[in-house]
Amino acid sequence: MVAALAWSTLLLVGGGAVLFRSGDLLHRILALDMLVALVVVLLTMLSYIASVSYYIDAAIALALLSFTATLVAARHVMRGRRF
Amino acid sequence: MSIQDALGGILGALATGSLFLGLALATVGVYGMLRKPDIFHQLHAAGLVTGPAVMLVLLASLGSGSVEIVTSAVLVILFVLVTAPLSSHAIAQAALRRRTAPPSDDAAD
Repeated sequence: MVAALAWSTLLLVGGGAVLFRSGDLLHRILALDMLVALVVVLLTMLSYIASVSYYIDAAIALALLSFTATLVAARHVMRGRRF
Repeated sequence: MSIQDALGGILGALATGSLFLGLALATVGVYGMLRKPDIFHQLHAAGLVTGPAVMLVLLASLGSGSVEIVTSAVLVILFVLVTAPLSSHAIAQAALRRRTAPPSDDAAD
């Protein structure tokens, strides 16, 4: 289980590398979406290992926030003005 | 060995398998994000992380047996099932509408 946590943290570092390599706005939006998904994975495993249910509630809020932000940012790129 | 122990063992094994399958899918997705240069190819790899990998790890947390964790995990699974295709579709539509060239020439971007 600790190995799964460590591997997920390594995946988070890989997602950070994707974010730093992205040259474009849409690439950056996509990399941030994937990073939030990895953080949701990490919070879920943390709540499963520590048997604490608060972390997974934080994962719900983070998923909601990420969905809204991605939708608004993609709409902003598409229209070229504020949403 | 009672029947409850056997069921708990099967549930634990299923949870561990689902967890490692989800982590493998996330690894494939991050590798694809690092390798692919185009936004449309990267959408495929990122959709692997935001959809199935998250859902498999959440399914693994169903094996914990705690009621609060299971209800929250079911909620997050339903939420991800709805929102992951929607956000991928929004990004793809933005990438398609933003281009001035027709969508057939992928190498220009």
